[in-house]
Amino acid sequence: MASVTAEKVQEVREVTRIERIGAHSHIRGLGLDDALEARAVSQGMVGQAAARRAAGVILEVIKEGKIAGRAILIAGQPGTGKTAIAMGMAQALGSDTPFTSIAGSEIFSLEMSKTEALTQAFRKSIGVRIKEETEIIEGEVVEIQIDRPATGTGAKVGKLTLKTTEMETIYDLGQKMIESLTKDKVQAGDIITIDKASGKITKLGRSFTRARDYDAMGPQTKFVQCPEGELQKRKEVVHTVTLHEIDVINSRTQGFLALFSGDTGEIKSEVREQINSKVAEWREEGKAEIVPGVLFIDEVHMLDIECFSFLNRALESDMAPILIMATNRGITKIRGTQYNSPHGVPIDLLDRLLIISTSPYEEKEIKQILKIRCEEEDVEMSDDALTVLTRIGMETSLRYSIQLITTANLVSRKRKATEVEVDDIKRVYSLFLDESRSTQFLKECQEEFMFNEIGESETMETS
Amino acid sequence: MASVKKETDRLIDHLSVIEEAAEDILSDKQQIIEFDLRRNKTREALRSLQKSNKEKKSWICIGGMFIKMPKKTAVKMLEKDYDELEKEINETRTKLKPKVNKLRDLQNEDDIKGFGLEPLSQSEVRAVERLL
Repeated sequence: MASVTAEKVQEVREVTRIERIGAHSHIRGLGLDDALEARAVSQGMVGQAAARRAAGVILEVIKEGKIAGRAILIAGQPGTGKTAIAMGMAQALGSDTPFTSIAGSEIFSLEMSKTEALTQAFRKSIGVRIKEETEIIEGEVVEIQIDRPATGTGAKVGKLTLKTTEMETIYDLGQKMIESLTKDKVQAGDIITIDKASGKITKLGRSFTRARDYDAMGPQTKFVQCPEGELQKRKEVVHTVTLHEIDVINSRTQGFLALFSGDTGEIKSEVREQINSKVAEWREEGKAEIVPGVLFIDEVHMLDIECFSFLNRALESDMAPILIMATNRGITKIRGTQYNSPHGVPIDLLDRLLIISTSPYEEKEIKQILKIRCEEEDVEMSDDALTVLTRIGMETSLRYSIQLITTANLVSRKRKATEVEVDDIKRVYSLFLDESRSTQFLKECQEEFMFNEIGESETMETS
Repeated sequence: MASVKKETDRLIDHLSVIEEAAEDILSDKQQIIEFDLRRNKTREALRSLQKSNKEKKSWICIGGMFIKMPKKTAVKMLEKDYDELEKEINETRTKLKPKVNKLRDLQNEDDIKGFGLEPLSQSEVRAVERLL
């Protein structure tokens, strides 16, 4: 059975994925060595050594599964790699640990209450590891012999000879088995498995030794090795599912299609309670392991005071994931209140957090990041151009200079050059304004814009 | 020089412990195969005895010698063998697990994820089947 699912997964992967290059697509991990020291440039990460080391320590604890219900806040100015660190953590955790990433504003939806959205995000980040065990008969079909009674009606009888590399044996077949064998068009030379409990037959493919039986074959014919060892095997498959997936399956009104359409609506709290108790029962019996995953909330200052108090409470539950939040705000108003607080997060929640801070990149690091991005976007850039771009990055922002890579590349291709030169950078620099130049321009020419009387207040209102 | 020798001895000791554990696992695996072979042969024999219901007695080959015995006794013997083999296979399989774990431990490898879990029961599997 496992091989069947594996086969399916492979099929999905075969489809060529046309992926756009995301802002953090170059990140492969945290770039730490075995002693958790940050390497200067590794796995797409540059600089931020202290923050990365801190993230690495937390990662170790997550992997041990020791802490649950802890929360981490990554704080720092815009463009200092907060999301990059979170992405790196996700990459380093591997596929077995659930990682959910949401943006703070995602939870405001008309279809779902804020707390429901948060609860779902929480439960998406908690994995349950379970094991399935099946007795199967696995072997290559040597011969199938089916006898029809002379009268035409009545029970058929048959024999099935199966072999592995070590042994060969004959099974007598009943009516049911004969039917499903003929239905699956099983013939000599096929490798099949028969599930002992359900009698389900699965065709794995054809034996390599029969590869030359026919000249013309369907494209889906798969050749596999003749199985080794015993005919009757015990197969164990370990799965990791998230609590949210179990929720969705079990909330009756939904049906399983809901899982794929993404529109799950609200899930009743009774359903969740039932599932919690069932999972707890499995845990007691040693049938399941809880895998606390990671929930990453970007732009956490967008949450309002209700969400924060919900988070406070939810973190105390014994099945809470590790919560990582990121914010670029300093002391600002907590959304939904009149009060100011550091990072726009209430003090009581802040008290529970481990805070990692990121600092602005230095010139050398910016250069390195730009270089990595150039590689990621397949852009050839001359050294001079890179230096100029680094300067731009220092004076304006890292994001702006990363934007210029793509645009400058387009300009250079227009003049049929293979490499981006300083002139290309200059050109796009004049074409696209950065944030400060745009502000400057607005200040100078404010009178000519419409509704300029509104823009009196200097401070920006965010809540 | 003495310390180098000591180190080498330690290494060899360690390697031989690993080798021993691995050998143990391999022999167990081979044993399961042998058992399964016998089990299948026994099953075939039982089947063919069930089919031929003409004679009261039948020939049966035990340890290279053909013996004629009443069919009932033969069936009983074979069934007992079959049950015994089944039990033996299960036992070997269960014992294999801690051995594999020990070997991984000796080789400084992490435990396989979910290795020590109890399997879900049939009905439980069916309940979450769509997820798997």
